[in-house]
Amino acid sequence: MKLEEIARELGLSELTPAVDGDAEIARGYASDLLSDVLAHAPEGGVLVTLQVHLNVIAVASHAELAAVIFAGNRRPDEDVLAKAVAEGISLYVSPADTFDIVGRLYALGVKGNHA
Amino acid sequence: MERLDYDIRSGDFNGAGAASRDLKQHLKRIGAESDAVRRAMIAAYEAEMNVVIHADGGRLEATVSDGQLDVDVVDRGPGIPDIPRAMHEGFSTASSEARALGFGAGMGLPNIERNADRIRVTSTVGEGTRVSFSVMLRPEAADHGARPSSLGTVPELCRDCRHCLVACPTAAVRVRDARPSVMDHVCIDCTCCIAACAPGALTLLDAPGALIGDGGVLAVPPALLAGFGEHPAGTVLDELRGIGFSAVVSVHPYEDALRRDVLDRAATGDGPAPVISPVCPAVVNLIELKFPALVKHLAPLASPWEALQRDLGERDATFAVSCPSQRTALLSQQPTAQRRTVTVRLVREALLPHLAARRPAPGDGAPRPQAAGADDLLVVSGVSHVLAVLEEIEDGRLGGVTAVEPYICDGGCFGSPLLAEDAFVAAWRWAASAGDARDGGQSLERSRPFRARPGIRLDADMAVAIRKLARLDAETAALPGKDCGVCGAPTCAALAEDIVMERATQALCPYVKPEEGTAS
Repeated sequence: MKLEEIARELGLSELTPAVDGDAEIARGYASDLLSDVLAHAPEGGVLVTLQVHLNVIAVASHAELAAVIFAGNRRPDEDVLAKAVAEGISLYVSPADTFDIVGRLYALGVKGNHA
Repeated sequence: MERLDYDIRSGDFNGAGAASRDLKQHLKRIGAESDAVRRAMIAAYEAEMNVVIHADGGRLEATVSDGQLDVDVVDRGPGIPDIPRAMHEGFSTASSEARALGFGAGMGLPNIERNADRIRVTSTVGEGTRVSFSVMLRPEAADHGARPSSLGTVPELCRDCRHCLVACPTAAVRVRDARPSVMDHVCIDCTCCIAACAPGALTLLDAPGALIGDGGVLAVPPALLAGFGEHPAGTVLDELRGIGFSAVVSVHPYEDALRRDVLDRAATGDGPAPVISPVCPAVVNLIELKFPALVKHLAPLASPWEALQRDLGERDATFAVSCPSQRTALLSQQPTAQRRTVTVRLVREALLPHLAARRPAPGDGAPRPQAAGADDLLVVSGVSHVLAVLEEIEDGRLGGVTAVEPYICDGGCFGSPLLAEDAFVAAWRWAASAGDARDGGQSLERSRPFRARPGIRLDADMAVAIRKLARLDAETAALPGKDCGVCGAPTCAALAEDIVMERATQALCPYVKPEEGTAS
């Protein structure tokens, strides 16, 4: 499913309109431990996390993720947004908590590493 | 060769990642394969974060040459008192600030280990830590030059006796400042330095808590099953099952299957004779490094451990390995399920108390039958004998032999220096022990061909290599030829090579007078 369709289905607010949302998303990962994200997040996937600082973008870039969804209405600073745009990573925010976001992603067919 | 250099500042969480990001651009420009870039970046970023989180600053140096990325991250900081523990997932000493940002979960070093093809961590408490790792940038590069080695070093145990220098069949070991180091581009992952090192500074390490019977399969070699005095293999198997594994399997059916396959290939007479069995990965490494002409003699099959691992499929398993080369071979297969390797030493020590409480009971069943055609097989073990036989094959002097089964360790895998029982006693006990299930093993075709490995060439560029060769001759002539080992290299020729390759200087030789530049 395309990223922008996912955003629409889940009612996500897009934080980086400058990055196009036509990436095809098949896999996802949820974690607030960045080393864990590095170790296990699937290439080209989406990350759901509570962390909103700059290192999230570095980690998402190294793990070659397509998008990050910030849960619990947590919003990153401007410099984080700028970095994400520079790296071509789409950022979204949702008022829902991690569990609910992951559940709805799963229902849309976005699976984890082992499904 | 390209060299990149970065400063890393302590506590600079926002700036962290700059070095690894820049490195990534370089790697992409030189056409590194994308999976390799990803792995290199994850390892570099974790190493960078370690400095940011733990140290008072440091440097990241990266060099790219010959399809290989080498990264050296050196910091000034508290050092790591217990490296094996730090390598263990979940162990962390990070600050609460780092933890709040989602770091310090104790995954940094394990993450580097998982993504790099090779890692070495050395540390001095109160001074700092050096993390060195390498990533092969092209899949085929893993078959050239340096390759991952499982040999471990515990430098602080070194007594500076230098027995390892002489023991190494490929002159890969150096001892300088009472610290052994191994040059991976010529290391063949064998046990020679381990056997020579009484204090255990060169060894095969176990991660703490590595032997966890969490319901998976435990795979063991016959040498372990036959290594408990008069306790028959069946008793040892019983006790092993009792420490928490769902099943215990022996690798010997796969050894037998490999032997049958090699004998079959020898019997057809296709291909160059004799056929050499790839049973011992260290001998395979030796052939690829020093006997390139014999690579085509190797039966294109995987080692018994690899065949067993393939058969275990998706089942979680722990492998009790007898040497570094078995561990490397298992890890290089990139298994799909959870896999651990432990040393046979660790399993043996865990089992000793259980068996001490049991009275040896006689085994039942007939002695092990020999594989059909085994009379035609030349089994050779021990590094000096293996070298002699390989030279005979290379020179065409080994007439009448159709199949060779070479093992680096004296007495084959029964002679692993990680085991306590004498190789010949253990082999005898195994041969005399009851015949439990010995079928079901099968040989496995290799997915990648064996390849000569140009680890000993002086330079990738032949013109440069020729110039270096001339310098090598001159440097060798300037040294006394005593091969005394005082300089930390095994021979004068090895020191000369170190000088030419800029790993050492002539000043290390106690016999060369500085003003003359030649030996007195």
